[in-house]
Amino acid sequence: MKQALKKVLPMVAFLTACAATAPVQADTLANMERERALLIETMLDGEISPAERHLRLERGQRRLLDLERMVLRDDKLVGRNTPKVRQAFANYDLTFLVHASVEKNRSMADTWLGQLGISTQNLMSAKQGRR
Amino acid sequence: MPSIGSSLALALAIAAPSLAAGKGADLPDWQPVASEKLIKLPANYLKKSLDHDFAQSALALAIQDLDSEIGLKGQTLDDLRTAIDQADGELQVELRHQFLAQKRKFITLMKRKVDLRQRHMETKQRALERLLVKLGQAKGAMTPARVQLVAQQHQARERFKGSLAKVDLTVLTTPTVPESKYAQEYSANMSAMASLGAAIRQHPMNNQPQMAGRPANKADFIRQMLADTQASIAILEQEQNIFGYMAKLVALDAMALSEQVMDAELTDSDVLRTAGPAAAVKYFLN
Repeated sequence: MKQALKKVLPMVAFLTACAATAPVQADTLANMERERALLIETMLDGEISPAERHLRLERGQRRLLDLERMVLRDDKLVGRNTPKVRQAFANYDLTFLVHASVEKNRSMADTWLGQLGISTQNLMSAKQGRR
Repeated sequence: MPSIGSSLALALAIAAPSLAAGKGADLPDWQPVASEKLIKLPANYLKKSLDHDFAQSALALAIQDLDSEIGLKGQTLDDLRTAIDQADGELQVELRHQFLAQKRKFITLMKRKVDLRQRHMETKQRALERLLVKLGQAKGAMTPARVQLVAQQHQARERFKGSLAKVDLTVLTTPTVPESKYAQEYSANMSAMASLGAAIRQHPMNNQPQMAGRPANKADFIRQMLADTQASIAILEQEQNIFGYMAKLVALDAMALSEQVMDAELTDSDVLRTAGPAAAVKYFLN
């Protein structure tokens, strides 16, 4: 047993060192989606004041704008046929929130909720009851 | 006169070029590598790189050496032919014998050269096929899903370019949030990249290869090289047939020479001529 451990442990240590020193690839899409998630969380946060929300959204919008541009300009994503990339580029308005909202002259919250099918009319006509 | 006819025929028949000899036996080699570096080279440079790699190989040196030997042997044949025309008698027969032997050696050398050239072409064909496979792997198989994704990404980029100015005006002019470091450095780098990109496009080594007057991509160019290589292999196989005919002619010439020599021997020899029984009848008549 001891001898087996003597053989296995150095190998495990070596592999761990290799994994630790392996180059970390910057995933622009994951960074953008993380920032968008934080921005949406800010939009939906009911515990902050409107002024604070506006300020946070403005700062978040600038960061998200840069990240959206990084994704759109990232040649490594072109043709990378993974589920995450396919889903991202399937809906431009949902993925690239800042650019889509400015194009349509709407706020980010309106654009995002509109993509999810949540509008003022839908909410006003919603009824509570069993499905 | 020594009887050389039968020995001549036997010697030439036994020593006839063995065209069925195994090709792979002790042939020098060339081993190109279909590396990532080759794939990234421009198409024109790829061809030159392969040719340069071959020129430095043992196979190319062997072909060059054979070329020299063949040239010298050809000269020998010319000299022997001239000497045969000027000689007569036994000397002419001996010279013709030598001529046949040298022709046999000439065919052997030519055959070996064709085998080496065939090895070159087959190796080049395999290298080009490996390059095509690697090129396909680098690009990835264009499945329908991937084709759709690439189309969507292209549309996204076009839409982004269309809204770039409006977004800059709306978002980046907000005084409360300063311009990001990414935005500042990106625009500075873009102008540098634009000028470098223009220089690359205008570089003579970056000219896209042309096929039938139209620009061709790297895969098409490699396929054309592959087709040319396969055509060369077909021509070499035809040349093998030519050597077969040459060898047959040499064998027939050897047989003709030995027959001629034997006929001459028979004419000169003291072969006993026996008379028929009709001439001996007179001894039995009273």
